[in-house]
Amino acid sequence: MASSLRGEVLNLYKNLLYLGRDYPKGADYFKRRLKSVFLKNKDVKDPEKIKELIEQGKFVMKELEALYFLRKYRAMKQRYYSDTNKTN
Amino acid sequence: MAARVLCTCVRRLPAAFVPLPGLPTLAAARARSTPCSPWGPGRGLGLRSRPRCSVLAQVPGGVTQLCRQYSDSPLLTLEGIQDHVLYILKLYDKTDPEQLSVNSHVMKDLGLDSLDQVEIIMAMEDEFGFEVPDIDAEKLKCPQEIVDYVADKKDVYE
Repeated sequence: MASSLRGEVLNLYKNLLYLGRDYPKGADYFKRRLKSVFLKNKDVKDPEKIKELIEQGKFVMKELEALYFLRKYRAMKQRYYSDTNKTN
Repeated sequence: MAARVLCTCVRRLPAAFVPLPGLPTLAAARARSTPCSPWGPGRGLGLRSRPRCSVLAQVPGGVTQLCRQYSDSPLLTLEGIQDHVLYILKLYDKTDPEQLSVNSHVMKDLGLDSLDQVEIIMAMEDEFGFEVPDIDAEKLKCPQEIVDYVADKKDVYE
C-alpha cells in the first residue's frame, strides 16, 4: 500500500516536472517551487492525507494544462483575429 | 523546388574540391565541367548522379567526412554511455563532482533524495531518447546501474 502511494507521488512529481517545462516564469522557477512544496509535505504519513495531497497535485496539473491551453488560444486569437478586429 | 536547390548544392561540392592539392587531374576536369553544364529540362537527376559519384570516388581521403549522415546518432559504446551518464550527474547542481564515481549510491553517497532521483532519470530520458518506466526507474540507484540499463535498452554489448 505504502509503496504504491510512493510510486504515485513520484509519478505525480515527474508529470508535474514535464508540465512545468513551459511555465511562463521559467522551468527553473517552477522546479524550485515544486520541490519545496513536495518537501514541505514529506513527513505526511497518513495514507488518507497523502491521497488528498495527490489529488491536489492532480488538480494543479489540470490547472497547468488549462493555463497552457488558454495561452495558446490567446496567441492564436492575436495572430488571426487582430486585423479583423481593427477593421470591424 | 527543394530538390532543385539540393541538387545545386550537391553539384557545387565537387567544385569546392578543385583547389585541393593532390587531386587527380581527371577528377578536377570533371568537377569543373559538371557545375557548368546547362540545366536542361529533359535531364533528370539519375543522369547527373553517375559522373558525380565517380568524381567523389576518385577524390583521395579527407572527403569521406563530408558525407551527410542525417539524424544518425554516434555509435554508443559502454564507455561512451558511462561518460555520458557521469557527465549528466556532474552537471546536476546538487551533486558533488568529487564524490561522484561509477558505484556511488545516488541517495546514500551523493546525498540526493528520491525527488532528485526522479529528476536524474528524467535527464537520462532526455539524453538517450527513450522513456524509463516507473518500475525500472526505482531500481536505478547508482550510475553503473543506469549505464547497464541504458546499454541493455540500446542493445550495446561491448
